[in-house]
Amino acid sequence: MTINPKTPAKSPKGLSRRSALTGLAAGVGAAASLPMWARYTHAQTAAPIKVGFQIHRTGIGAAYGRWYGRTTDAAVKVINDAGGINGRMVEVIAEDDGTDPRRGAEVLEKFANQHGCDVAYGTLFSHVVIGSAPRAAELKMPYFVVSEGHHVASGVLNRYTLQPGITDVKSQVQAMAPYVAENLGKKVTMIFPDFAFGHDHRDFFTAAIEAQGGEVLAQIAIPPAETSFTKYFPKIPRETEVVYHVMVGPAVLTFVKELGEFFGPSAPKMFGFIDSLEAVDIGSPGLEFLEGTYFWEGMCRDAQSDQSEHAAFYRAAVGVDDHGASISDPTDVSTYGHMFGCWETMHVIKAGMEASGYAGPDDRTKLIEAVEAMGEMPESQAHPQGAKVFNGKTHQVFGHQNISRVENGRLVKVHRTSIEDTLYPDEVDYTTQPF
Amino acid sequence: MRGTVIAIVLTLWAGPALAHASNQGFVLLLPTDIYIAAGVACVVMTVLLLVILPEGVVNWLSRPIVLSLRRARVRHWVSALCALLLIGIILIGYSGPRDPMKNPLPLTIWVVWWIGLVTVQGIVGDLWKWINPWTGPAQFLGAVTGRGPLLRYPRALGYAPAIVGLVGFAGFLMADPAPSDPPRLAMIVGGYWLAMLGGVVLFGPRWLLRAEAVTVLMRSYARMSILGRVGGHIAIGFPGWQVLKCGGARRTGLAVFMLLLLGSGSFDGLNETFWWFGQLGLNPLEFAGRSTVVSQNWVGLVAANLALIAVFFVSTWVGLRLAHSDISLGRAVRAFAPAVLPIALGYHIAHYLTSFLVEGQYVLELLSDPFQLGADLLKRGAYSITTGFLHTPGPVRIIWLTQAGAVVIGHVIAIILAHALAMRLFQSRRAAVLSQAPLALFMIGYTFFGLWLLASPRGV
Repeated sequence: MTINPKTPAKSPKGLSRRSALTGLAAGVGAAASLPMWARYTHAQTAAPIKVGFQIHRTGIGAAYGRWYGRTTDAAVKVINDAGGINGRMVEVIAEDDGTDPRRGAEVLEKFANQHGCDVAYGTLFSHVVIGSAPRAAELKMPYFVVSEGHHVASGVLNRYTLQPGITDVKSQVQAMAPYVAENLGKKVTMIFPDFAFGHDHRDFFTAAIEAQGGEVLAQIAIPPAETSFTKYFPKIPRETEVVYHVMVGPAVLTFVKELGEFFGPSAPKMFGFIDSLEAVDIGSPGLEFLEGTYFWEGMCRDAQSDQSEHAAFYRAAVGVDDHGASISDPTDVSTYGHMFGCWETMHVIKAGMEASGYAGPDDRTKLIEAVEAMGEMPESQAHPQGAKVFNGKTHQVFGHQNISRVENGRLVKVHRTSIEDTLYPDEVDYTTQPF
Repeated sequence: MRGTVIAIVLTLWAGPALAHASNQGFVLLLPTDIYIAAGVACVVMTVLLLVILPEGVVNWLSRPIVLSLRRARVRHWVSALCALLLIGIILIGYSGPRDPMKNPLPLTIWVVWWIGLVTVQGIVGDLWKWINPWTGPAQFLGAVTGRGPLLRYPRALGYAPAIVGLVGFAGFLMADPAPSDPPRLAMIVGGYWLAMLGGVVLFGPRWLLRAEAVTVLMRSYARMSILGRVGGHIAIGFPGWQVLKCGGARRTGLAVFMLLLLGSGSFDGLNETFWWFGQLGLNPLEFAGRSTVVSQNWVGLVAANLALIAVFFVSTWVGLRLAHSDISLGRAVRAFAPAVLPIALGYHIAHYLTSFLVEGQYVLELLSDPFQLGADLLKRGAYSITTGFLHTPGPVRIIWLTQAGAVVIGHVIAIILAHALAMRLFQSRRAAVLSQAPLALFMIGYTFFGLWLLASPRGV
């Protein structure tokens, strides 16, 4: 995953301490008297910006890790082809965290102490984020996560941890409620795996649908290791208008198949999160029941008729076709609903470093302050999923969400929420925490 | 049914490998119950056939065809070259890319050697005697110093060091938090290579044959391969002909080593299942990584191996009683232990097939761009790595049946071997058949277990 910078990096080991100090003193003096652009022209020959990528190469996150890696490579290539950050190339140092919180924290230490990384980046799984974030604060290492978890905005982490490239599950779930209540039905039965991931959906959506005048008739929690579901379906109340499902894990396809067999043609409306079926072709044999059902998508897997030029540019850059699969293998469906978060986060790091005049690890706090101050992020090549608003206090970004309907094995967007639909009151103000 | 299943399995076996499956969704949609029943039926039928078939059929299987090729004399040079290559790769492990799928050390050790070469060794022939990274260096050290081994290998040690080495290796593979981490792996591989080189210098080549776990492992699997030697000539035969040629394990330590190959391989599959997560009280969908199950996996590995050894000894003992034989238990265990090798090899192939199909692509990518400069020497094109075959019903079925085929074929060969070995050990056919009944039951049960492992939902 190491991206070779176009400008060869001069090894710090090749410098003697004296020459480095002399150079630094001269450089600082000279740079201070130069205009901003000239400083960075000078920096063309400097060492690369090192981004420590905490990648889920092994463990339960490996399937996502591959696509997060590919998106990260694509983002870095685009940034480097355009001159890098502050005139310096970006180098990604990828370390496998094994999707393991303890190793995640160790990986952050390696980034800081062995590799001299400027920032850490890229973590998806919530437990790895929660396990690593305290170490990021101790190391004073800005930690840009791409995890969807509500843990950043909930206030349990710290000032060094930011989520500027992907929205959190709380905002995603609550933004679904208005559409579900108006178009699919107000009487909802929820089916979810019986652990934290499922409980988040249960709690956030129950509150949100009630705010829309709807009600949750039943909450059916499925044990995580369950592989047969028919015994749970009779618990779905007859008057249910919408089934909200968020199953994950290897048995999810069995769940869909058995749900279809249970209901037959007279099913209530179905609404789910694409998390269940990331990397799976919705049109696969055995999944016919999904036809006509609805899914949340962070970014639309199938190219839509109104796809923006930025979204098209991003799709081409990550090598994905109009059906969300790799251009080299149409059966290799990407984790398209989520992986844009890596692209956008990498571009936020770039924008933050440019805004703060980031020159090295001493400027890390300036970088964090610059990101905290970002606020609105317009739709652009850097934000191909759409415009966003970054909340500097909660370190969480907010953005549009999509609802798609399965039509002929394709996911066709039927609704795009406003950003306002996704907002909720602040639960923390990280800016009050000292660095 | 049996003939059809065998035909399907053999067709798939001979065909190219198409895919991998870490996300098991489509496996759970397969009618694996039917496949498992068919696989177990194959093994049961083999047992029954062996009772009915004339003795000559099995004897015929044990006869190789001698090919008129003589062995070359450049082996030590190849070995020395491999040692140099290994040292180079270890150094890159320390200093190269940190991503285990980009660094040549984990790819070479886990994908090329552990998955690939062990399989080739077990199916084709003894490659290891060529690429063993100790024989060449030891030979050259001996030539330079003009001295032979400094010490005599203590006979009392037997295979104990190799057993310790194998359990240590299995523990590293299954219980270490990060066995693919390049610098960590470099330390382990480099340290082991040096330590074993020291052993060879001290005790001579006997060290490799008794104490060095990898060589003992590779030589054990080589007994299963179709190519071997007869009187200095290369010969080819039915898988297992060399087991029959060599007879049983010479020492109980080697028999135990062979059982450990099967026990460890089985636990390697078991420790990924939802069932195992359930035993540990963990949620497989939010598994907090290998660092949280280090001690549990060590305990499981040791317990699985002890259980297997106990079941094998008890089955053999009951067989001796049924046959009213006065052959000692130790002799019978030594005689029958090599019969588990094809099962262990079948598991190895089945368990790692999907990993090989995915991670093998990273090996090709590395070969295509060995210095990570953006080259594409193999003309693989951009975005060459895919896991689409794991998420497409057709390929998933082919892969699963191939894996199941490896398990079933392994058991069928094991039963044939055990039968042939018994015919040699016992005076009468009746005694041989009776002595095999408990082991045959054990192998039928193990077939079910192996196929169940493949069909079970997995957490990692």
